[in-house]
Amino acid sequence: MSENELSDDDLWLQLQDDLYDGMKPEVAAATKEALDRGFSPQEVLGQGLVAGMDIVGADFRDGVLFVPEVLMSANAMKAGMELLRPLLVETGAPRVGKMVIGTVKADIHDIGKNLVAMMMEGAGFEVINIGINNDADAFLQAIREHGPDIIGMSALLTTTMPYMKVIIQALKDEGIRDELYVMIGGAPVTEAFSKAVGADAYARDAAVAVDIAKAYMSRRRGEAVAA
Amino acid sequence: MSSEQTNLVVFQPSGRQGRVVSGTPLLAAARALGVDLDSICGGRQTCGKCKVLVEDGAFAKHAIESASEHLSPVDESERDYVARHAAVFAPGARLACAACVLGDVVITVPPESQAHRQIIRKDATERPVTLAPAVRQLYVEVEEHQLGERLGDWERLQDALRREWGLEELRIDLPALRQLGPALRDGKHCVTAVIWGEVEVIDVRPGYATGLYGLAVDVGSTTIAGHLCDLTSGAVLATEALINPQVTFGEDLMSRVSYAMMHDDGLAKMQQAVLAALNKLAGMAAHAAGLRGRDIHELVVVGNSVMHHILLGLDPIPLGGAPFTLATHAPIDIKARELGLKLHPGANVHFLALEAGHVGSDNVGVLIAEAPDQQDELMLVIDVGTNAEILLGNRHGVLSCSSPTGPAFEGAQISHGQRAAPGAIERVRIDKATGEPRFRVIGQEAWSDELPPEQIGATGICGSGIIEVVAELFMAGILRPDGRFEPDWGARQGDKETRRQGDEETRRQGDKETRRQGDSDSLPVGVSRSPGLLVSLSSRVSWDGQKGSYTLATAEQTATGRPILVTQDDVRNIQLAKGALYAGCKLLMRRRGVTQVDKIVLAGAFGSYIDPLRAMVLGLYPDCEPDKVLAAGNAAGDGARIALLSTVRRAESAVAARKVDYVETAIDPHFQDEFVGALHFPHMTDSFPHLEALGLLPERRADTGRARRRERRGG
Repeated sequence: MSENELSDDDLWLQLQDDLYDGMKPEVAAATKEALDRGFSPQEVLGQGLVAGMDIVGADFRDGVLFVPEVLMSANAMKAGMELLRPLLVETGAPRVGKMVIGTVKADIHDIGKNLVAMMMEGAGFEVINIGINNDADAFLQAIREHGPDIIGMSALLTTTMPYMKVIIQALKDEGIRDELYVMIGGAPVTEAFSKAVGADAYARDAAVAVDIAKAYMSRRRGEAVAA
Repeated sequence: MSSEQTNLVVFQPSGRQGRVVSGTPLLAAARALGVDLDSICGGRQTCGKCKVLVEDGAFAKHAIESASEHLSPVDESERDYVARHAAVFAPGARLACAACVLGDVVITVPPESQAHRQIIRKDATERPVTLAPAVRQLYVEVEEHQLGERLGDWERLQDALRREWGLEELRIDLPALRQLGPALRDGKHCVTAVIWGEVEVIDVRPGYATGLYGLAVDVGSTTIAGHLCDLTSGAVLATEALINPQVTFGEDLMSRVSYAMMHDDGLAKMQQAVLAALNKLAGMAAHAAGLRGRDIHELVVVGNSVMHHILLGLDPIPLGGAPFTLATHAPIDIKARELGLKLHPGANVHFLALEAGHVGSDNVGVLIAEAPDQQDELMLVIDVGTNAEILLGNRHGVLSCSSPTGPAFEGAQISHGQRAAPGAIERVRIDKATGEPRFRVIGQEAWSDELPPEQIGATGICGSGIIEVVAELFMAGILRPDGRFEPDWGARQGDKETRRQGDEETRRQGDKETRRQGDSDSLPVGVSRSPGLLVSLSSRVSWDGQKGSYTLATAEQTATGRPILVTQDDVRNIQLAKGALYAGCKLLMRRRGVTQVDKIVLAGAFGSYIDPLRAMVLGLYPDCEPDKVLAAGNAAGDGARIALLSTVRRAESAVAARKVDYVETAIDPHFQDEFVGALHFPHMTDSFPHLEALGLLPERRADTGRARRRERRGG
């Protein structure tokens, strides 16, 4: 099973397999091996971790995997990221995108939101998870501090989701609404609600959230190139 | 004006019809016309229970031309819903909450969309109580008024009560004072006074009068149930229940709070609705006992915090979000007439104490009835509803929490789920060798395999049926511990090689080709070859892409002519619900520093119908000796009844409620781990020695949760 006996292609497959199976130490070992072979941190991230999490995301969407399995994979990914993160910072490599995500004011339920955050990280996004019970000021402060491309808001209760509109209004008042892509989700949230409060997208689950965010970032890059 | 334009809507099979203003949603039209049409989500296009069929063509009888174009077009959220539930949607079916009337239409309400009259079996169980009601009746002989004596009727009654019964410092309620003169006259100076709480005369009757009655009510978000009791004997004279009419404003508690947030008159409307229901319930119960509503002198109410607040006209909005602030925790005594309740004019209503924003007086009722705080055994008391309330403790202390199980256990969020009503599948057994099911529906004694298919008329699966079918699928190996339909099911029992190949092919075709097939014939029927046996394996597992589903009832066995399936998404929803319940139990156990409990009590109607063993197999709650898992019936209602019969227990409960240590699960650092671990059947890591001793758990496969990827790629 030793990584150093594998061809490069098999090493990537092994890394992806271990990630899929949520095997944390094995993912760390394979990540290290890939770096030792001289692959750049971006290559290890893209061909190993992100490619592996893509498969996890697809199987989650297709009903093959469920929350526990995805969380195990996401945890294993963290082990690899711990090795890569300092190197990525060092090389100043551009990330896929940056997201600030949080549960809105008066709502304290965060498992679904945490799952989205992990899947987004798995897709190569930099995610700033600001936790539960965030009012508009908390979101604004995180936006000022981190300069994200995407804002993610979550609510589990029918009674707390209307606050999303307050936050979107605050973004408008600050004049930054158009610079940000606002995504919302949570058990009671619907497509219609998303339109009504003026969000950019509603994501039914974590896998869909990743797809939407990736599509947005590639549109945005396309526009940037065209401009 | 166009806004005044009306259209004729005819609902079948009820035949109810009427003209509605153009643009009215069908669901609103159905409600206005009194049509039996279900809805759980309150019109948010998420529950799908209100699906209806629009008829196309001329209807001479009604002199109208009905067409699907006479309804507003399908919008995005409805299309979204239908797309996700295509398997259970007949072509052309609409959600009544989304479709608005734009022209004359004839609408058919299919059987599965009819709300039915629910079967509610909330009978009072016998629990010993020492009678000490808040009201008692006292017979006294009052001195006649002498000329020149400066004493009124009330002062002379006070004298008599002081002299004969030692009661000091009494006051009299105004309606009783109005009764006093005539009563003295009719009773020839002898009267029977009804005293409340030893401080107030609330009724005066001529002569020697007997009969003193009280009502104990559990106001649930779905069901309101009451016991009418004889306060002199403690006997339950009548037990009645009805649906909480607030369901019109949203099925779950948070939708009700939301309704109050969105509508200025929302609180008032919901309060009036529940008060009207209480009046109706009191009338029904009194009638059943040969009495009248005004014969009821005392009412005790328990309910969750939101029901409690709405009933009292207290703003429920703070209960809709953290930190979930209550108007008060304390018990409340007020005159029934202040709320417009039509009981005896002097009747008092006692509202039991509340524990926390999410744990109301219904749980205090459970606390009174089960009294964990008075026992040595460490008890877990689980009241399963849309929110599960959990108590853990013994005489050394009691912890409580609320866990957001959602409505899956009640049949919502389940594609063929329904409430417990005639036609609902409530019992399921699956043959482990063949995978073939047999089931029993509510309203029939015989099992499905003892009846000709066309006599069964199954309409859906109710909560207890869902627990059983998922547990049986797991025990038969058709579902894996991680909740996925076993792709190799059948292969393990039989012809492994052939089966595996077939599977691989199916998977490779994947999304594209099998997506819409979904029929049971899309996979070959496997054959099991046990030594000396040849058993046909069930063809009931079918695949829609990667998602399996199981045909529980065939088209011939249902009322709709469409099969009843258990889908992968249904199983996922059950996993989420049971994970939340188990995690709540485990968090309390963790706080208490224990890994097992002596006894598990299942409260609530749901607890009475589920099979406790199969629920444990699924991992709804931790392992426990099976004989020590008991159903307690409607413990909240029983607690209300006990509080009605005994002011001693009532006072104890107020103290106990304050002592209960409430745990906010959502912000507990261990909740996520406990929840995730509990998503597997029965659990990812916790062991169930009692179930294993009984041989009820399928053997754990070595590859579960490991090396899936390699398995997936075929080695």
